[in-house]
Amino acid sequence: MARTSPFGLLVLFVGLALSNGVLALWPIPRNLTTGSTALKLSPAFTIQVDVPNAPSDLYDAVGQAKQYLENDKLGRLVVGRGANDTTAVQGAKTISTLTLSLEEGATVNSITDEARAKFEDRSEEYQLTIPDDGSAATLVANSTLGLYRGLTTFGQIWYTYGADTYTLEAPFDITDSPAYPYRGLGLDTSRNYFPVQSILRTLDAMSWVKINTFHWHITDSQSWPLEVAEYPELAQYGAYSAQDVYTEQDIQQILSYAGARGIDVLLEIDTPGHTAIIGTAYPEYVACMTESPWSTYANEPPAGQLRFPLPEVRNFTTNLLASIAKTMPSYYFSTGGDELNLPCYTDDPITSGYLNSTGTTINDALDEFTNSTHSALIGLGKTPVVWEEMVLDFNLTSLSDETIVMTWISSADAAAIADKGFRIVQAPSNYFYLDCGAGEWIGDDPAGNSWCDPFKTWQYAYTYDPLANLTTAQQSLVLGGEQILWTEQSGPENLEPIVWPRAAASAEIFWSAAQPGGAPLNGTEALPRLQDVRYRMVQRGLNPIQLQPQWCALRPYECDLYA
Amino acid sequence: MANSALALWPIPRNMTSGSTALKLDHGFNIEVDVQQAPSDLHDAVQQAQKYLENDKLGRLVVGRGSNDSTAISGAKSVKKLKLSLEDGASVKSITDESRAKFEDRIEGYKLSIPADGSDATLVANSTLGLYRGLTTFGQIWYTYGQDTYTLEAPFDIEDSPAYPYRGLGLDTARNYFPVENILRTIDAMSWVKINTFHWHITDSQSWPLELSDYPELAQKGAYTSSQVYSEKDVQDVIAYAGARGIDVMLEIDTPGHTSVIGNAYPDYVACQNEAPWATYANEPPAGQLRFPLEEVQNFTAGLLSSIAKQVPGNYFSTGGDELNEKCYTDDPVTSQYLNSTGTTLNDALDQFTKVTHAPLVAMGKTPVVWEEMVLNYNLTSLSNDTIVMTWISSADAAAVADKGFRIVQAPSDYFYLDCGGGGWVGDNPKGNSWCDPFKTWQYAYTYDPLANLTATQAALVLGGEQILWTEQSGPENLEPVVWPRAASSAEVFWSAAQPSGQPLNATEALPRLHDVRYRMVQRGLNAINLQPQWCALRPHECDLYS
Repeated sequence: MARTSPFGLLVLFVGLALSNGVLALWPIPRNLTTGSTALKLSPAFTIQVDVPNAPSDLYDAVGQAKQYLENDKLGRLVVGRGANDTTAVQGAKTISTLTLSLEEGATVNSITDEARAKFEDRSEEYQLTIPDDGSAATLVANSTLGLYRGLTTFGQIWYTYGADTYTLEAPFDITDSPAYPYRGLGLDTSRNYFPVQSILRTLDAMSWVKINTFHWHITDSQSWPLEVAEYPELAQYGAYSAQDVYTEQDIQQILSYAGARGIDVLLEIDTPGHTAIIGTAYPEYVACMTESPWSTYANEPPAGQLRFPLPEVRNFTTNLLASIAKTMPSYYFSTGGDELNLPCYTDDPITSGYLNSTGTTINDALDEFTNSTHSALIGLGKTPVVWEEMVLDFNLTSLSDETIVMTWISSADAAAIADKGFRIVQAPSNYFYLDCGAGEWIGDDPAGNSWCDPFKTWQYAYTYDPLANLTTAQQSLVLGGEQILWTEQSGPENLEPIVWPRAAASAEIFWSAAQPGGAPLNGTEALPRLQDVRYRMVQRGLNPIQLQPQWCALRPYECDLYA
Repeated sequence: MANSALALWPIPRNMTSGSTALKLDHGFNIEVDVQQAPSDLHDAVQQAQKYLENDKLGRLVVGRGSNDSTAISGAKSVKKLKLSLEDGASVKSITDESRAKFEDRIEGYKLSIPADGSDATLVANSTLGLYRGLTTFGQIWYTYGQDTYTLEAPFDIEDSPAYPYRGLGLDTARNYFPVENILRTIDAMSWVKINTFHWHITDSQSWPLELSDYPELAQKGAYTSSQVYSEKDVQDVIAYAGARGIDVMLEIDTPGHTSVIGNAYPDYVACQNEAPWATYANEPPAGQLRFPLEEVQNFTAGLLSSIAKQVPGNYFSTGGDELNEKCYTDDPVTSQYLNSTGTTLNDALDQFTKVTHAPLVAMGKTPVVWEEMVLNYNLTSLSNDTIVMTWISSADAAAVADKGFRIVQAPSDYFYLDCGGGGWVGDNPKGNSWCDPFKTWQYAYTYDPLANLTATQAALVLGGEQILWTEQSGPENLEPVVWPRAASSAEVFWSAAQPSGQPLNATEALPRLHDVRYRMVQRGLNAINLQPQWCALRPHECDLYS
């Protein structure tokens, strides 16, 4: 709870903050001071853009920010929902303007372009000042993306009671920037299909907590919803139905919607495993397709993997990935690489015959496959992203040093990847998998549980330490991380409640990393703020789950274990 | 079975079906051949027609029916379904029939759908039976292109429930649910022939129930003035349920789970908001009625009667779970009263139960209580008619039966829909759900309501229910957390066995449950996916050993 107070009344200040409610910023800014003065938003409140040649997506963002200010109408999460604030609000000063500007010398790019910059070039920091005397608030940044982040923070400050929109904690002085450049959310749209509308809604929610990467696991063994102009048969044969597809136009709509919200889209085409569905269009390229028993050949049904050692499959995959990657603006592109099943190849006469006749090991064949597919991506200016097995289970000399490795099997695996010198995105299933805990979905297994039991609560995810077991030198390899939803048991019907507000946990870990005072993040401190995030999401029309009975949400800490 | 899984749910107890394609005629209509048919039967017919027109469910096979066009193009068309009652059956509304006592409730029906296009017939002994038959009829049809059809005609179904109580429980106190969400839940219940909405309407956290006789309870106990159920709201829910063959069993949980009453009546509640809450309650906030006190007994009796007289059901639950005794030991008011009168807590509870149950019984209600009331206490005042709900464990039914009470099974280890969502108490990052793991539909489906009971005791089992406690739920996730899982117990308690007499089998059931789930989605409900769609379209290919 330690925050620096400009008045040096830290202890008293904390007491006041608790009695008024909680400061509800999420992710918590890395440096902030606040006060205890009431301040109202003028009914004529305007956001002024003081940026020469401001891009249109900045104006759109300002328009959206104003809409949230007008429509959120969030009652403060205290008993009475703000009824006791009327006296304070009545005497409060009114603020009429927020002025946005860029630092001197900053180049003016669109939010979209800034959101797609390389990690090392991404500028998300901002300074937000809200005086308590009614004079104009100011938001200054080095990029339009930073202004976007600051607008998001500004939108979390206000509550509504009756006709008034107000804060009780002015003045604000915030200097903020993310601890990590990659703050993602992963979604699998292959096990079950999600309409574009559901994805756009998810992007909205991501932007509210400053998540900046949509990791889109778009295809898998179960379905291929991605329409690819040069490979039309893939979706024709591989989508669940002609409606359950993402057209190129859909993809472009999602990319631009994401970009305008400060979000880069990292597309994943998982290869060479998780590809049974390719066999519906290209049967000769897939081994052990829908082989039985599936559990011998895959971690889940249906079995089927690319015959990656074959030159024609290598070339096909290379061209396919390049064909998709060239339509994607991001610098990053994932080729997957998890859960490769070796018996699938041992038992496949074509693959094993090829390996035997050429005297090639699976490892060497995989090295060659990776060399071919990744070279094409690098040729397009992309940085390849792979799952951890590609560096931990195989010895692939072809992987470029630039390759980014995503952990998933365990939080313990990051150290081994760091030992090999690769950059890391942390998506450990034991903290961050949003699908865990919902029980077995495989049939004929009534007593079966979720493979990654138990359910990963927001508060458990929140305890994740992305730097655990890493040396100081290795820590700089961690780009960030993400929570991810695998969708065997999900669809548009439960997407919002299963993801939100849980996915805000990693958003704060990777933006804030610590409390403003420097103390480690603490789930007990965070809960009232997360309740605020959750209730504001509901006001914005999202369906995030309840974290607790509302009785608890209105009484910070009274439902703590030892309260 | 080669064509697809017959998708009726709950599976009728006696049925034959064929393999002939049959279409619904574009002019298909449902004729009500019932003298002075009640208006809710006409409404039900209209609703059934709407589902037939709007479901547009593609058959759950690869191609979603595109391979059926040849069979369909040569198929006969059925033009009419005729509804009638058996000779001598009295004509009452569905609503009234659904509120009858368990022993008087008639839900059986006979449905025949010939393969030659001649009229289908639905016959029952009550309008409620006709309602159940209409529900079955609505599960038979698929749509591809312009055609609505089945591949499994003719049908000959003779059906009736194995158990009279098939419920769904919902807690609207931990978090509030708008009336609209409750109505939607009632719709979904009706689709799988669930006949009792067990409404746990109040608890320690909030009192959303507006009462004209006790206005302070909701004024001071609802989360906000908009998070309430007005007396009219309650009547609307009851009427909506009745028209769908559903009785509403209201629960006013006493004497525990009542902290919120102390907002309006501080003198009546012990240990209210005491810290640490864990000493005085299973979850925050602490607070229980000072039930040994005569004025609290009279207050509670008055309150319960005032509520009970507004609800038409024959059954009314007074709760009785998780009574925390430490709350009273540490409460000077209660403990002094007990000491000065030389009364034990058990005797005081006996007296409280007597005082609160007597007026309910007098107005014709049968009291329903949680299992602790018979297993943890010796209450001579409990009438033999009392119905006891199990919850702590599936192992407890036998002990309840040993005492001779009728039983509704709601065992947490099979039927609690909230389990597995992780700990929700704050400052406890490693906390898991107290009733981990998540109760999957398939695990719930393995529940045997007669386990460990003698043949004589088996007759005491009225049925059972899945139930959602809502510490981590609200309108935002109500549909996906409940559906289609709650269909599990609907089949356990309607069908009890496969039509062949074989025990229910989750492996057989999965393709049918997919069908239920996809039809629910067509009807606008947000039912969760049970598996990747790849599996839903390929029955048994995602089984463990396939």
